[in-house]
Amino acid sequence: MAVTKTEPINGSTTKSSAPPLPSMPLKSDLLSILSLKSLRLKTKQQELLIRVSILCLVYVLAFITRLFSVLRYESMIHEFDPYFNYRTTLFLTQKGFYEFWNWFDSESWYPLGRIIGGTLYPGLMVTAAMMYWGLRFLRFAVHIREVCVLTAPFFASNTTLVAYFFGKEIWDTGAGLVAAVLIAICPGYISRSVAGSYDNEGVAIFALLLTFYLFVKAVNTGSLAWGLASAFGYFYMVSAWGGYVFIINLIPLYVLALLITGRYSMRLYVAYNCMYVLGMLLAMQIRFVGFQHVQSGEHMAAMGVFFLMQVFYFLDWVKHLLNDKKLFEAFLRITVTCAVGVGAIALGVGTASGYISPWSGRFYSLLDPTYAKDHIPIIASVSEHQPTAWSSFMFDFHILLFLFPAGLYFCFKRLSDATIFIVMYGLTSMYFAGVMVRLILVATPAVCLISAIAVSATIKNLTMLLRTKSKVSQTGSTKGTGGGKTSSKAMLDQSQPFQRNGAIALLFGAFYLLSRYAIHCTWVTSEAYSSPSIVLAARGAHGNRVIFDDYREAYYWLRQNTPPDAKVMSWWDYGYQITAMGNRTVIVDNNTWNNTHIATVGRAMSSYEDEAYEIMRSLDVDYVLVVFGGVTGYSSDDINKFLWMVRIGGGVFPVIKEPDYLVNGEYRVDKGAAPKMLNCLM
Amino acid sequence: MAPKPDSHTLASTSAASSDPSSILLHGPSPPPPPPRFSSVYSVLRPPRLRLKLPTFTLPSPMTVFSLVLLTYFMVVSGIVYDVIVEPPGIGSTQDPYTGSVKPLVFMPGRVNGQYIIEGLSSGFMFVVGGVGIILMDLALDKNRAKSVKVSYATAGISSVVIAYVMSMLFIRIKIPAYLH
Repeated sequence: MAVTKTEPINGSTTKSSAPPLPSMPLKSDLLSILSLKSLRLKTKQQELLIRVSILCLVYVLAFITRLFSVLRYESMIHEFDPYFNYRTTLFLTQKGFYEFWNWFDSESWYPLGRIIGGTLYPGLMVTAAMMYWGLRFLRFAVHIREVCVLTAPFFASNTTLVAYFFGKEIWDTGAGLVAAVLIAICPGYISRSVAGSYDNEGVAIFALLLTFYLFVKAVNTGSLAWGLASAFGYFYMVSAWGGYVFIINLIPLYVLALLITGRYSMRLYVAYNCMYVLGMLLAMQIRFVGFQHVQSGEHMAAMGVFFLMQVFYFLDWVKHLLNDKKLFEAFLRITVTCAVGVGAIALGVGTASGYISPWSGRFYSLLDPTYAKDHIPIIASVSEHQPTAWSSFMFDFHILLFLFPAGLYFCFKRLSDATIFIVMYGLTSMYFAGVMVRLILVATPAVCLISAIAVSATIKNLTMLLRTKSKVSQTGSTKGTGGGKTSSKAMLDQSQPFQRNGAIALLFGAFYLLSRYAIHCTWVTSEAYSSPSIVLAARGAHGNRVIFDDYREAYYWLRQNTPPDAKVMSWWDYGYQITAMGNRTVIVDNNTWNNTHIATVGRAMSSYEDEAYEIMRSLDVDYVLVVFGGVTGYSSDDINKFLWMVRIGGGVFPVIKEPDYLVNGEYRVDKGAAPKMLNCLM
Repeated sequence: MAPKPDSHTLASTSAASSDPSSILLHGPSPPPPPPRFSSVYSVLRPPRLRLKLPTFTLPSPMTVFSLVLLTYFMVVSGIVYDVIVEPPGIGSTQDPYTGSVKPLVFMPGRVNGQYIIEGLSSGFMFVVGGVGIILMDLALDKNRAKSVKVSYATAGISSVVIAYVMSMLFIRIKIPAYLH
């Protein structure tokens, strides 16, 4: 690992950055080879060359490891949500930004329609459209679908660069490089950013890490320029994903932690004020967010901390003016009590009068995980929203689970503004990752960064052990040999070969562990996270690979064989795909913004056929689409999802009762099923 | 009897009132001086209390770190999963030939499912691995005796090796198709 010059413990600053091989003759050979090529690089340039080449390789690696499904199947959009994003991006490139921003879509949620311009996060679509227009300007005739498919891997590569700079900010360049490598192949991130997964998270994680990096840089330097940059980073994040709520709550929590530990400073004041005020104003430009920054309970923490910072600044100023300690203490007590009191009263009045809306169900269920199970079945039914078991952690993190506590230890050993931030980010995101599987994605950058600190610090210790052998003449500042005193040195000389061999063995061990990590990540990416979900593959009886393209064939059948104004009723999972590929109006889709409408569909699916017919006539339905796995034993077809239809329908219409469909508490679909189950529409 | 506790209480209350915040500190307020005509409360003697507001000192980083490690253990063992899904502590399977019920430690079939014991033991392995690396770093500290350093180093290395091997074993049992 490259060792930076700024490391004060390293006594010899003129030593070149050695790879962890202690033999001097080999290094001089290397130098002589380089000088033979008349490059004559100095140490600093050698180090720069190594760093830049590592970063370039990591950039390319992050891109190509996400291309498995493109190579195996074809370049297509995966899953369900990306189809909606693709459709909107198509609309944006065809009709222009003004039409896109004011779009009212009558093809989904019949008969209600959907105000798409006001209910989506435009960051992803605008980014892809910009790249498309840029490439077109350079006369590359690409199709918008290719740009959409490859947006996520491109932004994953950019995230590795941001991770490098962030690691450099928190610890040193070595940690930055390791962080970049770890995050390039970490399965937790790959799962939502493979080629074809054209979803908000692909861009949002880049924006998240960028915002955090810019903010930590602003706190470290206290410069207004970096604060401004972090506000714009926050704006990009708000435009990209609803998870921006995490940023707007983590940063005030971090500021509060700094205030409590007595690290208030002018730099923090400048950074937070600039970021909060500008960020809030910019965030309100997104129609979907609107005035939530001043009206919603989830954003109140930021406002509270903002006012608290003003109080701190005021107290600091008064302390400066007033040179009397006792008087100041009395003043301090009164002011803090007043401020807290006024804040509490304001919050109380706001909440009671209904101006400040309470926490929405989606985010409240993160704080109280049992809430969704009892009250919001739609949120509880999504498989990504289940709490996390240990094996999901292991699958997505592997070695990093060992390195994370070790990295936390190193951060606690060397507390600074930046390390406090990464610790808080790591802890809060790990808790949320434990609550919901999907949020492992948000925890991944923190885990990679903290693990990188552990790896970098451990390897630095080990190489220090190796390098003390060559500094026989140095006195004093050599670390790890127990001091440069002659007496102890004499005693240690006989143990030094043992120490050296031990250190070499441990370095090999570390190398082995990291290579196992790389093997694991590649295997997981290839087997688990590269399936398009819309094209299914299985092994036939003779071991040959069988591809099921049933979904797309069905949608194209709809597109070609039904009248253009036909309405299709299906469960909400397939709504986006039907509108994007089948080009027909649907009743409900994945946006799930109207629970009653979905419950109506659920009721129709689970009622007796004559009742269901009435409901469908009232909705003007022409076709019903169901997915049935049949002999292949496909595990996520509508029969397996049926109980969720019953629960959601029953949540709004008490006519539908779940026990009617069960036999002795068990769900059966064969001859012995409940009579209501056998006779319902499904 | 009556005047003496009076002067005491009067003196203590006057001392208290000069410092406005400690009015709040005066735990149980002393009973009012008994009126002359009733000696019901004369048997009571107000205790001389010395209460102070607990001063808020920040805990040391390493204390916080140990709390953090405990929380990490709980989260990574899947405690939220245990609370919400309420799986059994250990699963059971029936032997097809003898009909006897055998315990089953690892929940088969899904990546995102676990039994409680399984989660706790895997979480423990992860924490042991992390602590091993920490011990290895502590072994390089200059200020300790050599024997302590050697024992830390051995403990650290063996912890990491054991934790890694066990975790790999667990994941192979759980997902039979791992790395094939």
